[in-house]
Amino acid sequence: MKALQIVKYGELKKSLAFNEVSKPTAQVNEVLIAVKAAAINPIDKSIILGNLQSLLPIPLPSTSAYDVSGVVVEKGSNVSNFEIGDLVYSRVPQEQMGTLADFVAVTSEAVSKKPGNISFEEAAGLPLAALTALQSLEYANIKANDKVLIHAGSGGVGSFAIQYAKAKGAYVYTTTSTSNLDWVKKLGADRVIDYKTEDYKNIVKNADIVFDTLGKHYSAESFEVVKKGGIVVSVVGALDEESAKMFGIPDYKLPEEIANASKEKNATYKFIFMHPNGAHLNDIKSLIEDDKIKPIVDKIYPFPDAIQAFEHLATGRAKGKIVIKIS
Amino acid sequence: MKDLINKIKSSLELTSEAEEFIYSISKEKTFSKGEVLIRQGQAVKKTFFVTNGCLRSFCIDKNGKEHTLLFAIKNWWISDYIAVHTDKLATLTVECLTESSVIEFNAKELDGIHTRFPEFESYQRHNLERHVVSLHKRILNQLQLSAAERYDLFLQQYPDIEQYTRNFHIASYLGITQQSLSRIRVEKVKK
Repeated sequence: MKALQIVKYGELKKSLAFNEVSKPTAQVNEVLIAVKAAAINPIDKSIILGNLQSLLPIPLPSTSAYDVSGVVVEKGSNVSNFEIGDLVYSRVPQEQMGTLADFVAVTSEAVSKKPGNISFEEAAGLPLAALTALQSLEYANIKANDKVLIHAGSGGVGSFAIQYAKAKGAYVYTTTSTSNLDWVKKLGADRVIDYKTEDYKNIVKNADIVFDTLGKHYSAESFEVVKKGGIVVSVVGALDEESAKMFGIPDYKLPEEIANASKEKNATYKFIFMHPNGAHLNDIKSLIEDDKIKPIVDKIYPFPDAIQAFEHLATGRAKGKIVIKIS
Repeated sequence: MKDLINKIKSSLELTSEAEEFIYSISKEKTFSKGEVLIRQGQAVKKTFFVTNGCLRSFCIDKNGKEHTLLFAIKNWWISDYIAVHTDKLATLTVECLTESSVIEFNAKELDGIHTRFPEFESYQRHNLERHVVSLHKRILNQLQLSAAERYDLFLQQYPDIEQYTRNFHIASYLGITQQSLSRIRVEKVKK
């Protein structure tokens, strides 16, 4: 079968190649998915560039990407929750990375039936970004009437986080640039802050939750707008000490500015590392089918143009997901 | 099962032999919400008479989106008749929207009942005629009525269905977007 593989680390064009590889088969706990569409995310680009070699070591060559939608064509003997012919979507686990291929074998726990009211291409763009948003906001125990600030509302994760927070009944502040104001407003944000002309720190006060999708100085700065006892969840900032232990860095200390800022507010700082989860994807399926969350696709590329899709991703200008139609 | 026998008895004189035969080719079954009775792409041998609950038949287009053909509630029949009558694989999926009780028949055996009991011939023809009329109406309504008019008719035909279905099921039955369905509902409330 055909697969787009990472053959070395470095520049996108030189590091990716279409290879003929053997078709996988479903192991006892797996389903084999005939891929209809795959989506690419910033992490896929970072892996190719070699920026994550120590954190996520992969053998070379490896097939790229994690997000997928398609049809179950084979299932392992222990799989009872799927049948041949089911239409599914998934963010595949790290060790099964490789959705830019005709087939991918995935542990059934990471798979869910796809929402019935959207296309394969729309479904493929959901898993990673939507799981990240759901798991971050659920960790923060989001509930109705919470005041939530979501940094960078037009980003892949931010745009889902806005919709998820609204579906939960929260009041949502978000930041974006002037050109995206209307678009982000349409996603349901209550107060859209144009970071080019306004300072969110003067507008947001006593937020219950801040969702940090930017990192850098934003992680510590977020404590200026969170309420006493509130929480800042971050998907790109510094690791917290508990997460660091999980990654095998036991003597890790939270950067001083974040530690001090959180102490001052008696607030929590938590780094969220998205984990594949079919049950969570099933929750997202319901929200999509009930029209509470809309998939957002920036552009769909045919499989032979997948390398161009990565170049588009690298510009950082996509508004919504970049999807590759496989078959 | 009684409901079905009574339904048949209201249209024809049912001999005890024929009644016994109907029992012999059927099985009462209960399925839970979400269970799939017929799956697109697979062989179809069964047809179902609904005694309780709500089922839906739909096809999935090449883009992966679902289109609802019909809902079946108490006293309705549901299957993939294209597959049954042309010996092809299913073009439809039939799923339970609620816990549903059905009487399951082998479709071929039920179809052939008139060869053994000729009194069923006119009964079956009559059912088929009603089915053709209802399908023609559905096609014509789809061609000439506005979405709001189609929604009104839908509610007349399935008065209690909204407690069983999701909005996207209804939108996909009417061939409109969920946003349009929401707009139509808002307009109805205003009237």
